This record gives sequence, structure tokens and C-alpha cells, in this order.
Amino acid sequence: MGGPLDSALSDLRARIVAMGGLVIEQVITAVQALLEGDAGAAALVLARERQVNACDTAIEEAGFQFIARRAPVAGDLRTVTAIARAVTDLERAGDEAKKIARLALAAAAAGDRDVSLGVHRHLRHMARLSADMLRAAVGALERADATVAHDVARMDRELDREFQAALRQLMTVAMENGRLLRSTIDTVLILKSLERIGDHAKNVAEHVVFLVSGDDVRHARAERGAAGGQSAVH
Amino acid sequence: MATQTIEVNEVASAMRGSHAGGTDRLRVAVEGERAVAGGAAVKARASGLNFFYGGTQALKGLDMEIRDRQVTALIGPSGCGKSTFLRCFNRMHDLTPHTRYEGSIHLYPDDIDLIAKDVDPIEVRMRIGMVFQKPNPFPKTIFENVAYGLRVRGMRSKALIEEEVEKALRDAAIWDEVKDRLNDSGLSLSGGQQQRLCIARALATNPEMLLFDEPTSALDPIATARIEELITALRERVTVLIVTHNMQQAARVSDYTAFMYLGELIEFDVTSRLFTNPGRKATEDYITGRYG
Repeated sequence: MGGPLDSALSDLRARIVAMGGLVIEQVITAVQALLEGDAGAAALVLARERQVNACDTAIEEAGFQFIARRAPVAGDLRTVTAIARAVTDLERAGDEAKKIARLALAAAAAGDRDVSLGVHRHLRHMARLSADMLRAAVGALERADATVAHDVARMDRELDREFQAALRQLMTVAMENGRLLRSTIDTVLILKSLERIGDHAKNVAEHVVFLVSGDDVRHARAERGAAGGQSAVH
Repeated sequence: MATQTIEVNEVASAMRGSHAGGTDRLRVAVEGERAVAGGAAVKARASGLNFFYGGTQALKGLDMEIRDRQVTALIGPSGCGKSTFLRCFNRMHDLTPHTRYEGSIHLYPDDIDLIAKDVDPIEVRMRIGMVFQKPNPFPKTIFENVAYGLRVRGMRSKALIEEEVEKALRDAAIWDEVKDRLNDSGLSLSGGQQQRLCIARALATNPEMLLFDEPTSALDPIATARIEELITALRERVTVLIVTHNMQQAARVSDYTAFMYLGELIEFDVTSRLFTNPGRKATEDYITGRYG
């Protein structure tokens, strides 16, 4: 152990963990910009999006080179495959943070547009959950720990419930006050972005399961659902 | 055991007959999963196989099944016994003094024990051909290299021999390159062509099984690719057992892979699983280059 092969793999893993940290920071800053009407924080997220994309390109290229030059098999192949999949999910989670930041910037510019619309509590809860899920998934990737996937799947179900509850509340707002339709749509988009971030975090955790055990659990829930089951990941 | 053997024979015969049809693979339950896995019957079964060079034990209690008309790769570090195991199948060790077999290697469908003392090694070698690391054509013409085995088998008709030689050369994917120079020396061919000539020579006796001992280690990448394509095509009609040091080659050409270490079989699985998710850490360390 400890040869050039291992150092290339640890380098890949270190890079994706760093990218994960950046994406988590993007989500937290975007939500903060939104809740505090902080245009500067929103602009920071938009500026850092380029860094996220650069990480995505660099890690993809490094993984591609690793496959071409080392012809990895077994655990090495699963690691590089899992990292290549995870990098796409992290990049997309970063895109969702960017969308939230754009809406935060627009709301801040409009001055009077309140995107909370009484779902403040749901929004905060969803933001915390999605960031926690990302943190858990990236940590699992760093430690090659498949056991976290179960926790992330549980948090994802909680996130979905929060999303549905917030949607119901927003529908009432929209029906009662047509003037708030624009804000309602923005809020739905923000909540949907947080929900998507949770999905990407869950995907990353599932890639870790594949990395560790070789089991592909990505479509387990849909298949179990079709068979009448409930649970997604074990 | 006797019942099972009869059933195995029937399955193997049935599959030989049906194989020309292509995709319809029989799935027959013969005492659980022993005889059939993934549609392929067992062609040969090593049981409790020990092998000794003098006082040194090179193979230790090997149990392994070779599937009919599939490619099985033997991998492992130098000295692990993979070539020794391969050479048991056509009794090559009989030529080395002070060697000893224990256990059995049964060949199906007729269920003969290849290493039994009363089985004629010449007959075994007619049924199980071998291709070596270094191409070794006879110092004769291209035609005679292939015709030789046919004559040894007692074939006398010139027309029939010509027909069979052409068929073997075609099956070895070398006919187009040599058809106009059949009377040139086999040694005048390039390394890759010589190796395909040797494969044609082995095919001429219509063997049931072909043993390849690192068949491409002396060849360039293009010649290697041709031999690999040929092996893939050959599995339609013969069972192939191949020893290779090239992990990628094992991954490319084989259906099953066996990892051996210090004379023991450490892991045997379908290649698609062994190279993506091996069950044993020793296998993982070896195939990922972390061995030793």
C-alpha cells in the first residue's frame, strides 16, 4: 500500500471532499442571503459557482485520466466510478444553490418581496436538513462509510415531508392573495431547490454504498415501491 | 454420484446438440447448481487435485469446474501453480520425471479421469490441445504443420486432409494470409501468425478443449488483439482454459476467472464479478496491483 496508485486515488478523494465542502458552503450562504436579504452574500455564491464548475471539470478529467492510464479494477474501479458519479451530483447541488442565490438577489433588489410567506420555519428546516445531508454524504465519501446512507435516506424522507407541508401552506397563501403569486412561485422554486439538494446528497450517499460494497442501490426505492415496499437504502 | 454423472452427460450432450441454434440455453437442475450455472454445463471438474514435483507440492487440493464452451482464465503470481494446473489437463507432466498426481480431473460428457494411470496421454492430447507462450511451429511447411495431427490420427485421403487443413486455418483466422504460400516454412511467418498457425494445428484434431499458456506474452498489441478475438470466437466450439499474467487480457477474454496463490485456488467466479467486486482481499490486492 501507499504506492502511486493509492496516492492518485487519495488525491481524487481529497479533491471531491474539498468540492463537497465548497458546495455545502454555497448552500448555507445562499440560504443566508435569502433569509437576511443579503445581496452581497448572494453575489458571493454566484461568483463562487465558477469554482464549483472548475472542481467538476478537474475531477472528471483526473478520473478519466486515472481510468485511461491505470486501468483500475475492483475497489479502485468502484472508487473512481463512485467519485465520477458523485462529482455530477455535487455540481448539480451547487447549481441549486446558485438558483437560490439568484432569487435571493432578485428579492433583495425588489426590496419589498418577502419570499418567506409564512413558511419561514419550513424553509429554515429544509435548509438545515439539506446541508446536513450533504455534510453526511461527503463525510461518508471521505471515510468510505456505507452506513451513513441509511441516515441520509431517512433525512431525505423528512425533507420531502417538509417540502410537501410547505407546499400545502403556500397553496393557501396563493389562493387567499393573488398579489403574492410571484413571491409564491419564487418560494416554491427555492423549496424545490432545497429538496433537489437533498436528492443529490442522497445520491452521493448511494454512490458510497456502491464504492464500499459494489451494490447499486440507486433505484432500490422505486423497485421496492413497485413491489409494495417502503424503505430505500439499507 | 452415478446418477448425477449420467445426468451431467445427458445435459452436456443435449447442449452440444442445441448449441448450433445459438441463444437457447438449457437450464437444467442437476443436483442443485453443480452442473449448470448461467446456462453452461460442466466440461471438466478437478477434485481434490494435488500435484508434486518430487517432494515439492505445487497444487494443493484444488476443486474447480470448467464450464463447457466458456473461457476460463487462471491468474495469480508467478509460482502460484496456474501453469502446473493447466498442464495437468493434457498430461504434460507425464514427460517430467518424479512427478505425481493425486485426486482427479473428470472430463465430460464421457466422464473419464484425465489423470488416471490407465488413460492414454496421447488420446488425452488429441482431445485437449495446447498452445504455448512461444509459438512453436514444426520446421515444416505451413500445410504440413496442420496436416501432421491429421495424419497421426490416421487420416490418409489427400483431399480430406486438404479440406481439413483449410478449415483449421480458417478457424484460426490465418487462411487469408497463408493460402497462397502453404508450402512456405511455418517459421517464415511473423510471431503472431506463427501463434495462429499453432492454434490451427491444435484445432485440426477437432479438440474439445484448448489450453493456452500465456499465448500472447511474446506478441505485439496488434497480434495480441487478433489472438484474443480468435479465442473469443473459438469459445463457440471449444472450451478454453487460459493462463495469463495480463489482468486486462483475463478481464477481456474470459467468462470465468480463477485466482490461485501458493498452489491453492483462492477465488473462482464469473469474470464480471471477480474484476469489479472480488470476494477475497487477496484477490483484490493481486488484481489491483497491491500484491506483495
